[in-house]
Amino acid sequence: MDASMLYALRDPMGVPAHPILFLVLGVLTWALHIAAVHIMLGASGLAIWGSFGNDAYKRRLAAAMLMTVKVAISVAIVLGVAPLLFVQVIYDPFWYTSNVLSAWWVIAFIVILILATYLLFVFYARNPKLADGAKTSCPGSMIASVLLLLVVGFIMHVLAVQMLSPDQWMQWYAPNGVIDPSGTKIHDYNIWRFGFLIALAAPVTGAWLLAYRRYLQAREDADHGYLNWVGSLAQKMAIIGGVVSLVFLGIWMATLPEAMSGFAFSPWVIGTVAVLLFTVFLPNILGRKLDQGLWGYSILAVGTVALIVVAAMREAVRWTIIYGQHGYNPLDYLVNMDWYSTLLFFLTFGVMGTLVVGYLLTVAWKAGQSASMYTPSPAVNRLGNIAIASLVIWMIHYFAFGIYTIMT
Amino acid sequence: MDMIGLYPMWYEPGIGSGWIIGVIATLHVLFSHTSVGAAILFAVLAYIGYRDNRPELIEFIKKYGLFLLVFSYVLGSITGPGIWYSTTVGSPRGISALIHTFVWKWATEWVFFVIEVIGIYMLVYLVGKVSVKTHMKIAVIFGIASYGTMVIIIGILSFMMWPGQEKWFTDGGYLNAFYGEHTFASLAVRTAFMFTMAAVVGGIVAAGLKDQVFKRWLVTRLSILGIGSVIAGSLMFMWYMNTLPESAYLVYENRVPESFIPMVLTVLALIMAYFIVTLIQPKFVTATVASIATVAILVLGLWPGETIRESIRKPWVAGQYVYGNQIIGRDVPGMNVKSEIPAIEEHGFTKTAVFWPESQREINYKNAHEVGRTLAITTCTNCHSLSETGIRPMVNYLGGIGDYERIKTYLLGALATGNTLYMPRIPLKDDEAEALALYLASLNDPGVVARYQAAKSAVAQNTVEE
Repeated sequence: MDASMLYALRDPMGVPAHPILFLVLGVLTWALHIAAVHIMLGASGLAIWGSFGNDAYKRRLAAAMLMTVKVAISVAIVLGVAPLLFVQVIYDPFWYTSNVLSAWWVIAFIVILILATYLLFVFYARNPKLADGAKTSCPGSMIASVLLLLVVGFIMHVLAVQMLSPDQWMQWYAPNGVIDPSGTKIHDYNIWRFGFLIALAAPVTGAWLLAYRRYLQAREDADHGYLNWVGSLAQKMAIIGGVVSLVFLGIWMATLPEAMSGFAFSPWVIGTVAVLLFTVFLPNILGRKLDQGLWGYSILAVGTVALIVVAAMREAVRWTIIYGQHGYNPLDYLVNMDWYSTLLFFLTFGVMGTLVVGYLLTVAWKAGQSASMYTPSPAVNRLGNIAIASLVIWMIHYFAFGIYTIMT
Repeated sequence: MDMIGLYPMWYEPGIGSGWIIGVIATLHVLFSHTSVGAAILFAVLAYIGYRDNRPELIEFIKKYGLFLLVFSYVLGSITGPGIWYSTTVGSPRGISALIHTFVWKWATEWVFFVIEVIGIYMLVYLVGKVSVKTHMKIAVIFGIASYGTMVIIIGILSFMMWPGQEKWFTDGGYLNAFYGEHTFASLAVRTAFMFTMAAVVGGIVAAGLKDQVFKRWLVTRLSILGIGSVIAGSLMFMWYMNTLPESAYLVYENRVPESFIPMVLTVLALIMAYFIVTLIQPKFVTATVASIATVAILVLGLWPGETIRESIRKPWVAGQYVYGNQIIGRDVPGMNVKSEIPAIEEHGFTKTAVFWPESQREINYKNAHEVGRTLAITTCTNCHSLSETGIRPMVNYLGGIGDYERIKTYLLGALATGNTLYMPRIPLKDDEAEALALYLASLNDPGVVARYQAAKSAVAQNTVEE
């Protein structure tokens, strides 16, 4: 399929702002989404591991991770919406084709994700006293949940890989010139790429555990024996998981198409390796500082930056193939500039979203550290009032613009 | 020659991609509307609970919130993107039109969605762990943010039916696409419906309350909310019907069963009766009864309603410029969009479609049947099944005809000229119409292909000999 055909698949409506904005937002929001996915998978693994056996620390961690998974799966879903939106905007020819060619798997994604979530909930509901040493009930549901989540991840992986092969699409759609519209087949995957992105769950969860440990240190009733054990486990997860991830990354790079053989030594990959190594060894570098001030959270912060670098590297792979090999430039999309909706998003995201989410997370953070009922300071209360005011103003604006549009 | 950017097709012969999209979308409507209605209800109950020092109300919010987290939020938050996924594979250019018109609006809704999800967790899990005022603030934020998701998606759904302002076609502009009287009428109907759902589903949770006095108090209020929302919804529905454009009325009068309005009235009467009974006799509300009421609304009210709404926008699938079979059938000069009909009319599908087997770019009597199949898959299967099962099976519309020439006459006379109500214009060239007719005829009479090939082969042979 040549470039002119790819361009023909573009939506003639164009895009309402420069495509670079959608590309950048796609990378950033995918990084946040995959971070939640990693924590979900890593915490699930720890919940299963901890719930087998009688070790008090392991069971306590399993209980905490079970609660983490329950929230992380919601966060992963909600954060996944954004990159799913942005990929359709500038990569529509590639994304839509890839989806249609494996349509049944796309539909299966929805069903399997629902099943996985409910299996998790079954395990959660059946084990309310996991930390107290009660016999673990229905562990199979949790194991099945994780396996199904991996299937869901694999489906997304397949869609992301298939979109990179326009030269294969016609053969997949109409083998020997006869159309197969069933959408039942998976046409392409790269197990090393998938392995790399999944293996990162270990170091990311390690970073998450270090932040969890630092957070609990602030409580008056902190159990330092448990927290030290968590710290040690987190460091092992970070280093071992980090090394395994890099091995997968190396094999993925080695299996790239011949035309991309130089990519493995590009700044994208070198930068990814460097930032991942720095992240996983940072706890050792910091040593006792991890127990001081905000240092305990620094691993998570650096880890987030590392995931943004990984996301950028993943995007560079896509760009190199789609533009470099197939001549399609997502950045020359027709722009039908719409200032109103562009500004509305950035104001909603940057002002209202920051105020409201900032207030909610501040309250959640403080309440979690407080052994008794949390009463916010006047400053936090004021933030809450401003957050509500911003929501009300947004609503007023919505109806005002609507009425104005209809009247004029 | 301009290529036409038609994507590959997903053809599902069992039930049809359209029904799969419909099932996912209708389930999402149920869960999302219940959640949004409940979110606003929570804010009101939290206010009353804290004002009058009634901890049982806060406890109810916690229980109802947990119930929503387990059911509505899991299923709602997965079926929401699920609509994207299913429309991506079932109608890629339809969803693409909406995405490219409203990407920022969807991104804005995502901000509200993030707040909503954080809000429901905090509302449920911070009961008794934060001060009364703080919990109240969380309830208010959760309520407004939830409604924020509703007001945004309404504009996009309205555009899917028809753009807010007619001048959008000539002038373009996001506001013209998003806002119209229909947008607000839809919002009003759905706002009423979300309170109806919050009241019905709230009954499932209220049924489990042990304090009978509180249960009676609560069920009475939920019933009043239900009755009020049904009355308001009925009035808003009349307004909604008045905002439909003429084309929708035409389709409505010709394609929608006459039983639709009586059925709507019956469903409304049944819902009203349910709430009146629960108002008079709160003990009637059990988890089973409320669950049955919920499912009944889904099956008898929501599903037919959404199906009719889908029907009356036909033959268009988005913004009255993208046909159900994915072809752009209308100029939108305000957005620099050109109809693809002239290009197809001049060069045909076989020459212009991107995903077209090279061996089928030229039609001859040997490949005509296969080209016909490709044409049927490309231009028909969004709305018609090619098997005996699935969505609107094609064989049911052919009246058992196995005569390809009669079918060809219809295709060229009515379909290629756009003179069939409810159907897109499909500008087939003569040889394409013949190929498609041959394939369609073979659905009723498989032997027609051999006879056709033999006849054409004989003609070719004679031509060579002469």
